Amino acid sequence: MAMRDLVNGGAACAVPGSSSSSNPLGALTNALLGSSSKTQERLKEIPNATRSGPGRPQFYSQDQHLTSLPGSELDQPVLQPGAQGAEFFRGFSSVDQNGLGAAWDEVQRGGPMPPMGPMYEPVHPTFEGPPQRVLSNFLHSFVESSRGGIPFRPPPVPVLGLSQSDKQCIRDRSSIMARHFFADRGEEFINSQVNALLSSLEIDDGIQARGHIPGGFRELGNFWNESQAVTKPGLHPADGWAAEFNQHGMDHGGPDGWVQSFEQQHGVNGWATEFEQGQSQLMSNQMRNMDMQNLAAMEQTRKLAHTLSQDGNPKFQNSKFLQFVSKMSRGELIIDENQVKPGSAPGEWATEYEQQYLGPPSWADQFANEKLSHGPEQWADEFASGRGQQESAEDQWVNEFSKLNVDDWVDEFAEGPLGESSADAWANAYDEFLTERNAEKQASGVYVFSDMNPYVGHPDPMKEGQELFRKGLLSEAALALEAEVMKNPENAEGWRLLGVTHAENDDDQQAIAAMMRAHEADPSNLEVLLALGVSHTNELEQATALKYLYGWLRKHPKYGAIAPPELADSLYHADIARLFTEASQMNPEDADVHIVLGVLFNLSREFDRAMTSFQTALQLKPNDYSLWNKLGATQANSVQSADAISAYQQALDLKPNYVRAWANMGISYANQGLYQESIPYYVRALSMNPKADNAWQYLRISLSCASRQDMIEACESRNLDLLQKEFPL
Amino acid sequence: MATTQLKSDAIMDLMKQHLSTDAGKELTEKIGLVYQINVAPKKLGFEEVTYIVDLKKGEVTKGKYEGGKVDATFSFKDDDFVKVATGKMNPQIAFIRGAMKIKGSLSAAQKFTPDIFPKPSKL
Repeated sequence: MAMRDLVNGGAACAVPGSSSSSNPLGALTNALLGSSSKTQERLKEIPNATRSGPGRPQFYSQDQHLTSLPGSELDQPVLQPGAQGAEFFRGFSSVDQNGLGAAWDEVQRGGPMPPMGPMYEPVHPTFEGPPQRVLSNFLHSFVESSRGGIPFRPPPVPVLGLSQSDKQCIRDRSSIMARHFFADRGEEFINSQVNALLSSLEIDDGIQARGHIPGGFRELGNFWNESQAVTKPGLHPADGWAAEFNQHGMDHGGPDGWVQSFEQQHGVNGWATEFEQGQSQLMSNQMRNMDMQNLAAMEQTRKLAHTLSQDGNPKFQNSKFLQFVSKMSRGELIIDENQVKPGSAPGEWATEYEQQYLGPPSWADQFANEKLSHGPEQWADEFASGRGQQESAEDQWVNEFSKLNVDDWVDEFAEGPLGESSADAWANAYDEFLTERNAEKQASGVYVFSDMNPYVGHPDPMKEGQELFRKGLLSEAALALEAEVMKNPENAEGWRLLGVTHAENDDDQQAIAAMMRAHEADPSNLEVLLALGVSHTNELEQATALKYLYGWLRKHPKYGAIAPPELADSLYHADIARLFTEASQMNPEDADVHIVLGVLFNLSREFDRAMTSFQTALQLKPNDYSLWNKLGATQANSVQSADAISAYQQALDLKPNYVRAWANMGISYANQGLYQESIPYYVRALSMNPKADNAWQYLRISLSCASRQDMIEACESRNLDLLQKEFPL
Repeated sequence: MATTQLKSDAIMDLMKQHLSTDAGKELTEKIGLVYQINVAPKKLGFEEVTYIVDLKKGEVTKGKYEGGKVDATFSFKDDDFVKVATGKMNPQIAFIRGAMKIKGSLSAAQKFTPDIFPKPSKL
């Protein structure tokens, strides 16, 4: 969850090219405040947008201009970056006063709509010095406090005017970082550090809590911004559109039957949740950990559905969006029938609606006319003139929708609150299928980059990545290194370190994909060959593992001579083990040969010999944490779990952020039947790398075996906050 | 060791050892059934390797069951078996998707869950 936000903190988290700090927190700061400058670029294109920093006077006049436009009375004079979308929705919600809201609410839940509080606290843009600098210094002082391990005493900070999304971003990333910094400390200490940081930045934990409505709202907002940002500068498509909707909501309102017929066909959450799902798919197709946010976003999208539906605008009703919705239902007949209402052909309802509601009112015709010629009314004018942009914006939006696989919809149903079990099972199967396709993509050796990488544009991501790796901030390091290899795809060392990072983060698929690229760039790198051998061993791909381990021997300057090249065509484990044994006798002080031998014996499941090899290597390299983990894993696989745990402990003493060792700890407890004990270790591993899919699966098994069905939901939705609270280590 | 070895072999080996531990013995007490698992390298039903996971006696053997009738028989592809055993795929979903075929007692089949298999640790 946190990772997800970290990655997609949205468009708002992208680092601008101007970023120059080499410190991770500086980069974070840049990423955060950089968003302001990035947003400001967009301001030219988006009306009602924010200025979060001083010195953009030209927009004031634009805003003033806007106040004369219909609908703009709903806008606040000052907004945050990323708030345009929110504003857009809020504009809709205020239409509720005409009472139509009640009908929808009844349909929704039989209760009144939750009040829409102010989305953003007012900010006072009183900066002392450049905000980037202020925040950067502040975060530095936080890091400093981590060295001494003393409780963090925040210095007074000027008001920075951080937007909600900035705050969210800071909060999530700082809590992951803190977990890395204080990996050897208790959970309480970490929380108090983070809370001290957050409270001094006036980031209210309550508001920021995941799953709170603004969180989901922000996502929608970001999405909206995204689609808006692509449109050409010109008039104010978003505003015009929004205003236009608002007016019509007021003037005509009435066809809430649209809502009902839609709802009958598709279930309450139908397309709204689909939208949300698509959103999360867009952001990160690997993360499905956001139940609370899902709900929040669903809530918001539902409101959007509600308000859109109140609008009688035929343009909208006949729009591509509507077509899309019916297309969507046609595409997924089976699920549709299973789920909701069999027998009624989707698409009919649209026609039905048209017959029912579009007939009498004259405004429809009027509007149609105005669309062609400029009508007398002001809004129509405004609309017509903005139409070029508006349509492209709208198309954009619709396209975004259509681009999403219709499959995603099925996906969504699996996670949605409604549905009988049979439908759930189907949807789950589909969900699995999608995940699997993704995994196959990975398995085929294609590296999957994170979306929204804040290190893109960093001046020296390689150095940054090395630094982060050295500090043990694995997830951050992976992002920085991804930025590096995107910039320099031939950087073998970048790929290699990225692979190592993923391996330590317990993600062998990605480790393999990265190592393959490193291998392409530098086919004779021994470390890469060994890493590939190890990762394929972990994935139980024995033939492939053997190939790379033999490659190691052949490329080795000292032992290459004893490796006959013809052997590479028909690899037999026994032959290769013999050659390596020979090599180890040639040079008994070479720890690496013993390591490879240990891996080889793991491959053939001769665990005793593997342990001996690793132990020999450890005498030569006692501070190699990955070696301790290898020994531990070998012991665990030969059911010596108690020994394994002490070996893992050694590894973790050397490297507290070693996600793989934490996960292996959990496995060892679980394999001994100590499921309850295994849970905190999995949770710990996941708190450092929420992308560690294996650990999620194992956690689920442990939860069900430890009779903690109550927490399975949290596991399914990848709610790490809750899990960490429930299972502190 | 041939190059066309099944991944499932590794799991089964692990299982064999696992059954000798306390946790494994608990398993035999809890379940007390005999499963036959057919694993095909590429295509269901072709070149299958048969394993007997005997949770009565706490044994894993290769080849046909000698002790009479098994309680349930499962057929997998190699990859799918690994997915089910490591919790990547839910057995029910595997069944729905046709990735797992079942013969025999349904109640016995329902006790076949990913948690009976030990998890491989990673180097």
